[in-house]
Amino acid sequence: MSPAESHVPTAEEQEQHLRTLENSWRHPGGITGWLSFTTHQAIGMRYIVTAFVFLVVGGILALMMRFQLAQPNNTFLGPDRYNQFFTTHGTTMMFLFAVPMMEGMGIYLVPLMVGTRNVAFPRLNAFGYWMYLAGAIFLYVGVFQNAAPDVGWFAYTPLSGPEFSPGKRPDFWAQMITFTEVSAMCVAAELIATIFKMRAPGMSLNRIPLFCWSMLVQSFMVIFAMPSVMIASSFVLSDRTVATNFVNPAEGGDPLLFQHVFWFFGHPEVYIIFIPALGMVSSIVVANSRRHIFGYTAMVLSLIATGFIGFGLWVHHMFATGLPQIAAGYFTAASMMIAITSGVQIFCWIATLWSGRLRLNTALHFVFGFIAIFVLGGLSGVLLGSVPLDLQVHDTFFVVAHFHYVLIGGALFPLFGGFYHWYPKMTGRLMNEAVGKLNFWVLFIGFNLTFFPMHILGLKGMPRRIYTYSPEMGWGPANLLATVGACIIALGGIIFIANVVWSRRAGKVAGNNPWDAPSLEWAAASPPKNYNFEYLPVVTSRYALWTPPDERVIVTGLRSNRREVLATTLMDAQPDHRYVLPPPSIWPLLTAIAVTIGFAGSVFNEWYITWGSILSGIALIGWFWPRRPLELKP
Amino acid sequence: MTAARTLDVSELPPFRISIQAPLWWGQVCLIAIEATMFSILIAAYFYTRLRVDVWPPPGDQFPNVLLPSLALIPLILSAFGSYWASEAAKKDDRRGMILGLGLNLVLAIIFFVMRIIEWHSLNFNWMADAFGSYVWAFLGLHSFDFIAGLVETIVFVVFVASGRYGERERLGIHVDSLVWYFVVAIWIPLYIVTYWGPRLVETAQ
Repeated sequence: MSPAESHVPTAEEQEQHLRTLENSWRHPGGITGWLSFTTHQAIGMRYIVTAFVFLVVGGILALMMRFQLAQPNNTFLGPDRYNQFFTTHGTTMMFLFAVPMMEGMGIYLVPLMVGTRNVAFPRLNAFGYWMYLAGAIFLYVGVFQNAAPDVGWFAYTPLSGPEFSPGKRPDFWAQMITFTEVSAMCVAAELIATIFKMRAPGMSLNRIPLFCWSMLVQSFMVIFAMPSVMIASSFVLSDRTVATNFVNPAEGGDPLLFQHVFWFFGHPEVYIIFIPALGMVSSIVVANSRRHIFGYTAMVLSLIATGFIGFGLWVHHMFATGLPQIAAGYFTAASMMIAITSGVQIFCWIATLWSGRLRLNTALHFVFGFIAIFVLGGLSGVLLGSVPLDLQVHDTFFVVAHFHYVLIGGALFPLFGGFYHWYPKMTGRLMNEAVGKLNFWVLFIGFNLTFFPMHILGLKGMPRRIYTYSPEMGWGPANLLATVGACIIALGGIIFIANVVWSRRAGKVAGNNPWDAPSLEWAAASPPKNYNFEYLPVVTSRYALWTPPDERVIVTGLRSNRREVLATTLMDAQPDHRYVLPPPSIWPLLTAIAVTIGFAGSVFNEWYITWGSILSGIALIGWFWPRRPLELKP
Repeated sequence: MTAARTLDVSELPPFRISIQAPLWWGQVCLIAIEATMFSILIAAYFYTRLRVDVWPPPGDQFPNVLLPSLALIPLILSAFGSYWASEAAKKDDRRGMILGLGLNLVLAIIFFVMRIIEWHSLNFNWMADAFGSYVWAFLGLHSFDFIAGLVETIVFVVFVASGRYGERERLGIHVDSLVWYFVVAIWIPLYIVTYWGPRLVETAQ
């Protein structure tokens, strides 16, 4: 199909179109209505806000640990409480903050960026959110019952097995995994379908914005990595609750198997968090250097390569378990290889920035911070990839320093940049730039003060996961410095929250495209309407909004009296058929409740799996009950 | 957005029961998730097996192969019922849908009865040892999928037989056939591992 010259809607037709569109995408009212929302902006925002709450909670736990370690022989937290806190901190940050936050950003931004009205499966999207929320509440019910997991965020067997961890603590950890992974898988499936089949006409594969590419790669990684952690946590859970022997050495099981299965997920997990952040960096860099990205193809290929190589690294978390040398050699090489694909991207950004006309706003500050911190973290990662050094610093604070440099530098800094970049899109107002730059510097200084000393502590032999140390070890000053740094990070967090709250009411009105950025989300209103675009856009170049307005094309002929979008072909995004999305529904919530009864109950009594399955089956039949009219009018 | 030109899509169909439907892709993703899960479980089985000398452990029988092998016949044939229904769904052929789903259902139930009989004859359970845990996990997880697939099929038969269906349900039947192909196909490696695995990997490292 080629664009026709005729049929440009008249002003009157447009007004009529807008009215019906507004009506068919209106949110249902009341509490039940609110629980039935299925628009991607609402669900995405719920993910973002919930995940941010858990960032704060996880941060408070970290701060308490830092207070405990501030000086030798401190008694602020006892050993048991300390174990619970570091486990809950890691678990919260990984499963309740980082992954859901990236997914929330993806859910919010991907449909806007590919130029459609919602994700491919809006109800599944709502269900995924409820599962995430249920899992988060489930873990914290445990925390407040003094049953927080205390075996590390990776819950190695045999420590987490029935023999060494009686009670329910690891069960809360293991079942929380199931909840959040179900949620992550729902998001992955719907984002893949959205990016593959619902792109604006003309947005062929080589025109997809890099953020969408990164969410696509991340979604595939979720599909192939997350089942692994569900297997791992189910091994632990079923060994504990129904006396299976998967990881029980007394009956032929093998505890080390747990580590393999866990890290086959655990390493890709790092990239599941990190790859969307790379996409955010690309968006920020393009918008603020005001030029095309340098090396688009190289960037896409290295994203995909990172996705593949990420699955070949897991054993480098297990160098200290006595592996055959050949395995250690292979995984060392693979670990070094990932530096190449990350390096390609770093150099492409530098080239883009170098030749661009920079707008040095807060978002770009965070990108610079990201490059600095991430490169440092990457370098200590290359060091750790070598077996002799890894054995030397294994289980010390050097490793803690390394992965906080990679995760905070690689994911949190781009994410804060992303907040500053997309806040005007999500709220209609700009965040305060002066406060933003202060925010950046406080976080940057606080971060380095906290985590740089940990490198030195690690080299001096301070182990991870100890609740205190004696004064003659000489670790006191560096620990005190790290604690001061942690307080500065907390101050940075407070500045950020204050800026968000203040700007929401009093920030400068942003308009549709305050950064003059090229991707389609900036063509929608700020904040976007429920239907995103009055008329779906047609894309004629990689940088849709940098196309001169008189060359732009819109889609007409979609019905506005129901939630209709356009399905396009996978490679070239040729229009294929019109696709009708379902109206809001309470069934995703009811299904999530049914599944929660099964999951949460099974920790205490295995029969709950049966009851939960039956309830879920009933809820799913309700979900899929045929709607009238049965046949769609053309 | 103002624009000088438009792309009119009003002539396109409001629905397509084919690989072009987003639902088809979503279903493929969910199948990929489950296939990964079973693959990791199989890898874990062999990892565990290669670390012990005697497999199955003393006292556990070798699972019988005769009945499970015969049971493959109705199982594989049931996929043709599913295919028949999915093709009928494309053409809105109500009779074809009912017959296809019905055939699928009958054959699937025959398979499942054979499975239960064989399962019942095992002299160990999941608590016995790691071997028992894996065999019961393979059978249990696959049966869970299997029953979910059966319930879906029954629900679709009820919808179609009562006339309460439209394009969305027909797309559902088409896409649901993918689930059934998966349930059938994944059983073949699981069957080999469960019933032939203990015989195939004789020696330990």
